[in-house]
Amino acid sequence: MFRHLLFAAAIVLAGSWPAIAEDPSSPSYHRHVTALFGRLGCNGGTCHGSVKGQNGFQLSLFGADPVADHRRLLRDHGTRRLNFLAPEQSLLLIKGAGLVPHGGGSRFRVGSAEYNLLRNWIASGAIADDPVRSQLKTLLVQPASFRANIGESYPLKIEATFADGTTEDVTPYCSFESFDRSVATINGTGVVKAVGTGDAGLLVRYRDQPAATRVLVPHAGKTAMIDVQPKNFIDEHVLATLKQLNLSPAENCDDATFLRRVSLDIAGQLPSPQMVREFLNNNSPDKRAAIIEQLLVSPAHFDLWAMKFCDLLKGADFGVYADAFSKEHDAPRMQAWIRARLAENIPYDEFAERILTATSREGRSMEDYANEVVSLFEGYAPDRPDLDLYSRRKTLDLFWQRRGSDGVRGAMQVAHAFLGLRLECAQCHRHPNDNWQQEDLLDFANLFMRVRTVGFQGDNEKKFADAAVFFKKFNDEAKSLEADIKQRKEGDGKKLEEEAKVAKTKSDKLTPEIAKLEKSGTAAEEIANLRKELEAAKEVMARNEAYRQEVSKLDKRAKMLPEIARRLLQGECRLLPGGTPAKVTSTLGTRESKTARLLGETEPVSLSDDSDPRQLVVDWMRKPDNPYFARAIVNRVWAHYMGRGIIDPPDNLSAFNPASHPDLLNELCRGFIASRFDLRWLHRTILNSRTYQQSSLPADGSEGDRTHYASFAPRRLHAEVLLDALNTATGTSENMDMKYYHWPESVTTVQVPFAPRNAFVSFVLETYGRPQRNAAVQCDCERESDVSIFHVLLLANHPRVWEKIRDSNGRVAQLQKSMLDNDKKVEDLYLATVCRLPTEMERTACDKFLAESESVEQGLQNVLWCLINTREFLLQH
Amino acid sequence: MKRRDFLRIGGMGMCGVGTLDLIRAHAATGIAPRAKQMIVCWLGGGPPHLDMFDMKPETSEDYRGIFQPIDTRVPGLQVGELLPEMAKRADKYTVIRSVTTMNKPGDHAQAPLYWLTGNPRLTTGSDEFPMYGSVVNKLRPGPGDLPTFVVLDEIDVHTHNSLSRSFLGSAHSPFVMQPLKDKDAVTKMLTPQLELPAFARNADLLKLLDNRLRKDDSQDELITGLDQHQQTAFNLLRSPKLRQALDLSKESPESIARFTRNKPAKARYPIGDPLHFLLARRLIEAGVPIVHFNLGYWDWHGENFVAGKQQIPMFDAGLAALLDDLDERGLLDSTIVLALGEMGRKPKIDKPHETNAGRDHWDYAQFVIAAGGGFNRGCIVGGTDKLGEQVVDKFYKVESFGRTLYHLLGIDPDTVIPTPANRPVKLIAEEAPIIKEAIL
Repeated sequence: MFRHLLFAAAIVLAGSWPAIAEDPSSPSYHRHVTALFGRLGCNGGTCHGSVKGQNGFQLSLFGADPVADHRRLLRDHGTRRLNFLAPEQSLLLIKGAGLVPHGGGSRFRVGSAEYNLLRNWIASGAIADDPVRSQLKTLLVQPASFRANIGESYPLKIEATFADGTTEDVTPYCSFESFDRSVATINGTGVVKAVGTGDAGLLVRYRDQPAATRVLVPHAGKTAMIDVQPKNFIDEHVLATLKQLNLSPAENCDDATFLRRVSLDIAGQLPSPQMVREFLNNNSPDKRAAIIEQLLVSPAHFDLWAMKFCDLLKGADFGVYADAFSKEHDAPRMQAWIRARLAENIPYDEFAERILTATSREGRSMEDYANEVVSLFEGYAPDRPDLDLYSRRKTLDLFWQRRGSDGVRGAMQVAHAFLGLRLECAQCHRHPNDNWQQEDLLDFANLFMRVRTVGFQGDNEKKFADAAVFFKKFNDEAKSLEADIKQRKEGDGKKLEEEAKVAKTKSDKLTPEIAKLEKSGTAAEEIANLRKELEAAKEVMARNEAYRQEVSKLDKRAKMLPEIARRLLQGECRLLPGGTPAKVTSTLGTRESKTARLLGETEPVSLSDDSDPRQLVVDWMRKPDNPYFARAIVNRVWAHYMGRGIIDPPDNLSAFNPASHPDLLNELCRGFIASRFDLRWLHRTILNSRTYQQSSLPADGSEGDRTHYASFAPRRLHAEVLLDALNTATGTSENMDMKYYHWPESVTTVQVPFAPRNAFVSFVLETYGRPQRNAAVQCDCERESDVSIFHVLLLANHPRVWEKIRDSNGRVAQLQKSMLDNDKKVEDLYLATVCRLPTEMERTACDKFLAESESVEQGLQNVLWCLINTREFLLQH
Repeated sequence: MKRRDFLRIGGMGMCGVGTLDLIRAHAATGIAPRAKQMIVCWLGGGPPHLDMFDMKPETSEDYRGIFQPIDTRVPGLQVGELLPEMAKRADKYTVIRSVTTMNKPGDHAQAPLYWLTGNPRLTTGSDEFPMYGSVVNKLRPGPGDLPTFVVLDEIDVHTHNSLSRSFLGSAHSPFVMQPLKDKDAVTKMLTPQLELPAFARNADLLKLLDNRLRKDDSQDELITGLDQHQQTAFNLLRSPKLRQALDLSKESPESIARFTRNKPAKARYPIGDPLHFLLARRLIEAGVPIVHFNLGYWDWHGENFVAGKQQIPMFDAGLAALLDDLDERGLLDSTIVLALGEMGRKPKIDKPHETNAGRDHWDYAQFVIAAGGGFNRGCIVGGTDKLGEQVVDKFYKVESFGRTLYHLLGIDPDTVIPTPANRPVKLIAEEAPIIKEAIL
């Protein structure tokens, strides 16, 4: 849902032009002209800032390179673009004013302040002044935050301080946008107008530099003002903001809603009808806290968060064949490792450390490591014993053995997964609304260049002598095994095969013959002799079969050994000698960096040849004042329970994406760090707040609120959770059809490491939007949260859904076998689907419906159909 | 356009999109469409241009192959002898010989994605450009009781349906169905699983029971959206339109035979089903805006001429019958009909004198058949060199082709859409002129 909120943010341009502070007869290229290109939208990515420019005129994207822009202005098109003799004839002016056809339309009027400024600049020779003197030191937006009543307007004033010490009011050269136009709009001159209740971030951009401010608009008119008591500090913050906004929080949700909510949110499951009954009958005042504790240590909770972390860490992107990785082998191992750490509840900083500083060998001898790899390969068998083995490893080397996990792309993934930062744009250019430049990303990437998998290279055996020994050993073993197999197949095997063939013919002949003789009453002795012959034949056949199986086993091993060898030599994640500097190549050119620097820090760090540079990253992350690490996970966990991040989207912790409740976020982070990064503390604290436990029905007057937690935000169930809920509701299950890959029979959808062969399950996962866990996509938004016609149609009319409803062992069938009366049966369907008791009205309606149905069974099936098609079922609420 | 939609298309404050884009977004659905509907017959794998619509009879045998050129109703246009029906109808369509991927990106993994979206893209990644039908579904959806974008069989023989995902979100993915298969779950999902009176009873009960979370519907987008989608879904199920369109028993045996008469009994490669031409026509008649289907497999590295004899006549009969039917019903002028693959095939034949003679990949020249919906009738655009290897006249990039389609569909290809990560992206990222020679 947060996506929609983002869309509500829009740029406001145009409007009237405020007084230009400086004398416009001597405009500065760097302070005024380039700023205008940004303000007027000329250098946007879909206009002249595009890689190839537009219609032959190119500017650097968002004005990142004003010097080059100046060169292009002067050089391109001879003197037509800038005509010094007749400035008014300059293409820049006649196009910009729309006097000749211009793809971008008219950007300013002839005689407007913009027009005059550009004309004066051209007339005075279109000189680029000294860029160093005009470097921006600070950009100050006033007021930094403001409380405005609906209908009220106020101006923003933006002051720039430059390197030469001068300060200038640059308001007329800025562009403005409101992140939530239903709360406040902002016009082209920087005048903010409050239009609706809430608070909105306002973004100001001067040249390529953004700055942010906020406006808070209280609700006008009467509010219900339900009197509530805060349960913990979360509520204090939330209620304080609501009070400022003159909004009322919602009532507490009822017990049944609460139980369904926590079961789905904590464990990804519907509570069973019996659990609902017990909970409703439980009179203990602490029962909510108690069930939260219980669910937080339930296996299903670890499954759910293993799923979430596997999404985040792209835990299915294996398949470098040359290095012997595959999704089938390795995705379940990575999942098992993550799940094991969550079950142990290791501190989150340690969790991150054990992933980020993972090596394959973990300081052990090559031999020990080789034994581990052999056991892992051998464990790829029924029941997957390798999963337990792998999950006992200290570190998750598989994180670094995924595709695209190293270098610049790897650094981007680390930033996204652990720091909540999106650095994708910085691969090519500075993000228009963020700080990150290419060098920030490259410098950070240099911390990840040296420890990674070896990869396939011709001289590996020379470079990595320790591993080469084992590479050779396993390959040699494979070769000799193959020779052995060949010999067996051609020697003993062939002989046995032939003997078995003869024996088979004999046995085929003897078996009916004996039967015939027995019927006709032939002498017992003769029969006994024939029997002996038959036994002998069968024994030959059995011997051959045993031999064949033995050879087939050897065959399998012979094929496995070279894979083990490859994985040992090429797939090992280790500290590599040397290391190449981080480099990016894009349509905008190639860039390289040799320094290593942490994100947001100004000073580079020095790396030593024999230590893991990634340790520096972890040490930096776990510092209490790290601006991203704790915030990213706190904000993500919050978003999981509340439907949106305190900073939203939750993976965009940009300074220019302001938090809705900054103090709350800070206090949560402090508490989380003080708890020694205890994830369970974090879950528990959020879950026990009344903010989380309030009703999804807003109080009167608070209906429009989306960002201040005036009520619980309903949201669609995740694909996996939904399918599991559908199975529970209908009393059925899905066979994943993955026996070939050694999956257990009874795997839940939340537990699947990648889309299984069962066509219905895959279809559900695709339809309801399961992330592909692919390193190419770095966005939490990959898990779709919207609703579409497909979602409705699938539940309403997919033949498999009907099969489930009508299943001969399903819920309705079971109910029909019971002695319950119809009302109790309906009650059970309610508990199994929407996890509450039906109201009197609903009981009456269902009763009438059953009475009018052909049979009670059919009637119940249709009631069940109705219930799984309610919004109450599809939504978390 | 509702205000909210307007904002969603244009309002990407986060990434610095200017008023220009707002203006463009406004214009996005403002152009009067010449084409209301479109059928894409996708010849996945790359059909041989030298054996079909770009004959080179003057070349040596190891180039021109064994098929003779025949004259068509359009002076100057010859086609392969296996296309007699299309020859008779050459005054109904345009042959474009000058759009190619130039092998950037080439091969079966990427070229189909390029052709079918108008942008180079991969199956996953940050810039998942949408198929034309997905864009129509977002910006100009069809009647409320029909799907807007239907794919029959699958999108492409090599990449299957991986292209259905796009940055528009799964709500705009095509309905991929295989109605010719009895057990197809998606077809069934679109056909009520209950008799209509029973379905109506259920819907009534659902209305009574689904009364929670309803304090003020208009305030919650999620809940309003869900209600609307349920309404649409139920209308779709209640409406006989789709079911009737997919029901070929309504078609006379003679009519069916026109499409299937050249279907080979046994074939060298998977040939697809010519009934998809007929289904496409019936869906268009019913009012479905965009229908796409993959017709078999055209990657003939070996036995090019064996496969040609089997598959080309089938294609010829099917496409000709489709054009006839649409024209007779007065639908051709408002319906684009395309037949193309992701590449051509190599003019120089591999092992020319053997039965196994094949044509390898060729990404530098190919043909596109485009009819109706504003495309010219009886027209040839562009041309290749003597050997059919390189485009020498009126070269256009695939972006131009995509922009031409959007132009005819009345959608501005410069419409800016925010990706889920809120990056503003144009429907067709790169500037390119439309193929003006091909359109009316």
